[in-house]
Amino acid sequence: MLRNRVRVGLALAATTALALSGCGGAGDSGSQSGGSSSLEVFSWWTSGSESEALQVLQNAFTAADPNVTFKNAAVSGGGGSNARTVLATRLQGGNPPDSWQLHPDQDLMSVVEDGSVADLTDLYKQQGWEDKLPETVKAMLQKDGKYYAVPVNAHRANVLWTNPGLLKKAGVTLTDDTSVADFVADLPKLKSSGVAPICLGAKDPFAPAQLLESFILANVGPDVWKQLMTNAVPFDDARVKTAVTQFGEALKYTNSDSAVLTWDQAAVQTAEGKCAVTLMGDWAYGELVAKGKKDGTDFGHVTFPGTGTLFDFVGDAFVIPAQNAPDPAAEKVWLTQLLDPKVQSEFNLKKGSAPVVKGASLDGYPDYQQGAAKAFQTLPIVSSLAHAQAAPAEFATTYSDAVTSFLGSKNVDAFLKTMTAAQKSQLGS
Amino acid sequence: MAPSIVLTFVFVYGFIGFSGFISLSQWKRPTRQDLTLRSPFGETYVEMFKEQRFQADMRNVVVFTVLFLILTVAGGLVMALLVHHLVIAKGLFRTVFLLPYALSFIVTGVAFRWIFNPSSGINVWLGDLGIDNPPKWSTDTTVAFAISHPSGDGFWQIDLGIPLALLPIIIAAAWQLSGFAMAMYLAGLAGIPAEELEASSMDGASWFQQLRHIILPQLWPVTVTCLILLLHTSLKIFDLVVAMSGSGPGFVTDVPGIYVYDMMGRANRYDKGTAAAIVLLLTACVFVVPYLIRVYRKEGKSA
Repeated sequence: MLRNRVRVGLALAATTALALSGCGGAGDSGSQSGGSSSLEVFSWWTSGSESEALQVLQNAFTAADPNVTFKNAAVSGGGGSNARTVLATRLQGGNPPDSWQLHPDQDLMSVVEDGSVADLTDLYKQQGWEDKLPETVKAMLQKDGKYYAVPVNAHRANVLWTNPGLLKKAGVTLTDDTSVADFVADLPKLKSSGVAPICLGAKDPFAPAQLLESFILANVGPDVWKQLMTNAVPFDDARVKTAVTQFGEALKYTNSDSAVLTWDQAAVQTAEGKCAVTLMGDWAYGELVAKGKKDGTDFGHVTFPGTGTLFDFVGDAFVIPAQNAPDPAAEKVWLTQLLDPKVQSEFNLKKGSAPVVKGASLDGYPDYQQGAAKAFQTLPIVSSLAHAQAAPAEFATTYSDAVTSFLGSKNVDAFLKTMTAAQKSQLGS
Repeated sequence: MAPSIVLTFVFVYGFIGFSGFISLSQWKRPTRQDLTLRSPFGETYVEMFKEQRFQADMRNVVVFTVLFLILTVAGGLVMALLVHHLVIAKGLFRTVFLLPYALSFIVTGVAFRWIFNPSSGINVWLGDLGIDNPPKWSTDTTVAFAISHPSGDGFWQIDLGIPLALLPIIIAAAWQLSGFAMAMYLAGLAGIPAEELEASSMDGASWFQQLRHIILPQLWPVTVTCLILLLHTSLKIFDLVVAMSGSGPGFVTDVPGIYVYDMMGRANRYDKGTAAAIVLLLTACVFVVPYLIRVYRKEGKSA
């Protein structure tokens, strides 16, 4: 009891000190350590909706701390891989940005192991965030009971975007309760109606990797999925084999030009009636709406068959550096803004994702996003492997490479063999 | 002179040596440097050569290099001969043929991706011409003339042959660089004494005989220089492939450059990325070093 009170007292003192130093910097910037009066935020958010969403965060920070200039250090290209290369160089050179973007879960864990990111447990306690986040998400932000990152959004990866007209014409109904076996059995029916059943944008290696991920999730469920990521269950498990076989079967029903199509082209082609369905994360929703397609008439959406009861999570979070932090006070102010319910609500509306914090208002959200936001707060959450969140980058790359190999060879056993060997050598140190 | 030698040694050879060392170490994640040697010695190379992806990369780069060099040099020679014998508008055609060389590979790649898109591009014309099954271009996973079919258990994980998906990329690269070969051949052609050609035609040599016995032999040094200069382009090819097809299904269009990039930037495997880079360097050395030795010997003789 007494210790708690002391802790609260210390936390208060610390906050006051932070606040004071924040104010002090305004009139007398020279006295501040390093003289830095800017906050550099590193991300890979450069596209239209992404940079608009980032602007929301920037505005919130500037309102909270008007004396510190916000420096947007976004690096474009390669779905974040260019940014990661730049970031790695900066961290190695002892010149970290004030805050940078990463995925929660295993992507975060590797930088925590390196000791490059600061412990945020005090900030969590002070802000009372522990009660405002879903349990599974909290687990993805902690190591040994300490928090290291602040999450900002949740995208759902297991969504099947459909063309309602074509489904109707072929006499196929897909609902959130459709089983994966029924879905595979429906593919020939769709094909006989004269279009490619599945659009796949395989020019981005993550798209086929994400499709197979959905097949595996549908067959094994959330618990076994997590065990696959820790080598508690081997990849040559019979259920995974079924999933890979179904994936191979589904590949026979994809568009002929999938190898040169990107994920967004695949989504738009589905809405335009060139194929019946496409699997993509719900960032596709914003893309479709931006192209003038209407939800309900041009395109529809269901969760990928067999995965209606889980949320395949691709999220973003921000961390601050443990060493060489340019301006710790401003960094804390920045992180505090991220989980403010109002900021969360506004940011995720622009980003097309679900707010992570409980109680963020969903006013003005389109129907799809409202549903996804509710699903995130209620359903079991698993991390996506195709987006290097469920496992360390090395294993995620092995997986993505094995899927690319599979697209050429269609060899189920070779895939399972590669993955089982990688589980042994790359997971669990 | 001395400072430049020191700088070259540090920034070129020193860093090549360091890369070689990293490839033998256990340094995986960029932010966690671990320079202890991996045991058994050179295991990273063993691991890499067993990978389906890296095997496909080596096959692709060999196929790409051979076909690209033949096509570019032959194209350059033909264009040079045409332009050289033109009476009018010589300058115009020279510029037109050289123009693609001024483009970046990304631009070429995007344009040719549209041209060779199986559902639009030239397949539309082929369809109009009544061809029902037009080529699938970069999306074709067929490996033609394959001499090995892997069972999955042995060392070879790939079909050893010519991946058809590479052909559009080779055509695009040749389109861009044959103008460069042409420029070099034009310089070579200008150096052939007119007397020799006149004398031979007085003796009744046909145009083809002149080409075979006078022109081509004298263009041989140009050809060798051209091949060496183009070779490094094909070994380090990256941007054109990224823009046109990426790695392709089953890695039919993957190249070592993309492999290095993925290992360093995405997979957190510094050791494997540098190992692939060293393999690439050694491959280049196999061709370039004999050429350099020859050049230096000649210089020594003439001095």
